[in-house]
Amino acid sequence: MNTVSKSITQVLSLLSLLLCISASVLAAHNHAAMEKPDKNVCEGVDITCAKTVTLAFAPNGDLWRVWAADSAIYYQISLDKGTTFAQAKQVGIPAEKVSARNENRPKIAFDNANGVYFSWASPLSQKYTANVRFSYSNNYGKSFSAPITVNNDNLLAGHSFNEMHVSKKGDVSIVWLDGRKSHALRKQGKSSKGSALYLAQANFRNNTSSSFTNEELADGTCQCCRIAMDENKSGNLAILWRHVFGDNIREFAMITLNEKPKIQQYSQDYWHIAGCPHQGGGISVDDNNTYHTVWFNQGEKGKGIFYAQTDDMGATHSIPLSIGELSKQAAYGNVMSNGNIVDIVWTQFNGIEHTLWHQRSTNYGQSFGKAEVLQTAKNGIDRPFIIKHNKVNYVSWQRPNQGHWIQAL
Amino acid sequence: MSKILNIIICGIAFCSYSVLANVAPFNGDVFNRIKNKNLGKQWLMVLWSVDCPACYKELALIKSLRKENPNIDVIIVNTDGDDEANAESYQVMEKYQLLDITTYFFEEGTADRNRYVIDPTWYGELPRSYFVDTKGTFHGKSGLVEPALLRKWLL
Repeated sequence: MNTVSKSITQVLSLLSLLLCISASVLAAHNHAAMEKPDKNVCEGVDITCAKTVTLAFAPNGDLWRVWAADSAIYYQISLDKGTTFAQAKQVGIPAEKVSARNENRPKIAFDNANGVYFSWASPLSQKYTANVRFSYSNNYGKSFSAPITVNNDNLLAGHSFNEMHVSKKGDVSIVWLDGRKSHALRKQGKSSKGSALYLAQANFRNNTSSSFTNEELADGTCQCCRIAMDENKSGNLAILWRHVFGDNIREFAMITLNEKPKIQQYSQDYWHIAGCPHQGGGISVDDNNTYHTVWFNQGEKGKGIFYAQTDDMGATHSIPLSIGELSKQAAYGNVMSNGNIVDIVWTQFNGIEHTLWHQRSTNYGQSFGKAEVLQTAKNGIDRPFIIKHNKVNYVSWQRPNQGHWIQAL
Repeated sequence: MSKILNIIICGIAFCSYSVLANVAPFNGDVFNRIKNKNLGKQWLMVLWSVDCPACYKELALIKSLRKENPNIDVIIVNTDGDDEANAESYQVMEKYQLLDITTYFFEEGTADRNRYVIDPTWYGELPRSYFVDTKGTFHGKSGLVEPALLRKWLL
């Protein structure tokens, strides 16, 4: 090779190297863009940035709203049913991760003696592992107990999608999707069919409990849909969740503790899917002990949101009523009964704007009025939920980056 | 002179590898480019989330098929639309050895819009696979795909 060729070679080598460096920088930049929120994305602990918000009325009528940010749980109290809120406060517990997106979110409940109860899922070091955690205040939020782990298996396994109910006397019931069995099967080199539905109970008032009991209620549940739960007129908990029947038929199932503890298939839409629907159901028990339910399926026999009611704890139910417009992405139904009223809310999407819809029955769910739009959102939404205080139902809809919205129905 | 050419080719090839060794945001324009680029081919688009256990099984299937043929026509898109999940998603792409091809993700807050752009009749259940035929027609399937079907479509 002559001198000229050598020089050309050196120049080209340098050029290639420079090109490579710029390309690597570009690649690294793209990676960095995924790890850090861009400047238009909401940051900080403000509720506006929260992916999920949970609401509950205290017995005195105060409305508490709860969200997670930066490994902490925050809350705000409204004395005027959600029109204005006092300054946000952090639940006074040590920092830990809190699952708060899509179907997972912290939960809040009250007893009638100034008790405020929190439960949440806290992710662990490995993917799909988390513990269900719990802390409570016996002085209406002035101080909180040191958090404890609700699941008692001490395993690096999945424990998530917690729902909580607290009675006036402080009887705490927490249900969640538990992965201890599938963890054991994996260790044996076997595959599992879903998770299990677990129940933990305790009462921390008057020092009657120091830890939670753990009981398996059902094996073979879907792994990624939230659970719905309400107390019936006998004081027993009715639970609705997505179960895996047969060969990946993911249908809703129901049990009522102590009364109908055997798993009953509730929906019959025949959704055959080896995957994650990411949509749980809703349940609300009325004064006549009728259970009002909503669910979502994309089955061969039924697609979309459905409403039905059952007078026999899920053994039979009314003919499912289709809710919302399937062609407009109707999803995320929630239901609440209140006297003769049954309210249903859900969301729809037209590719640009999300809409929150509402439909009301004034005859215990026998018939429903016209569907109406309540609110709109852009840039993503949380699931809508209905809560009640006395004779009034309220809808809560978190719209990340846009604002949390509450309205009496 | 051939040595010089070799250096140029190697340099460019290595640079292309570096450029492609990343993940890119997905949107309507990107989707159109992907469709145009693959026109006339039989290809597969796999949508997945870090919160979907079955999705990992599908990614593992893709990984094993790529061992047989690294050039299978597959487009992989993470649908979380969440910064925290997107950071996890990069690690998953690394784990399933998918960083040598461009994989895509939904930017924070764009999940619903992008889902709608891809398919307004899809409700976000995962994994979601689109089998795209040589005419450009999309055939959507929700849930984990049978390995035999993937193999038949891609190899």
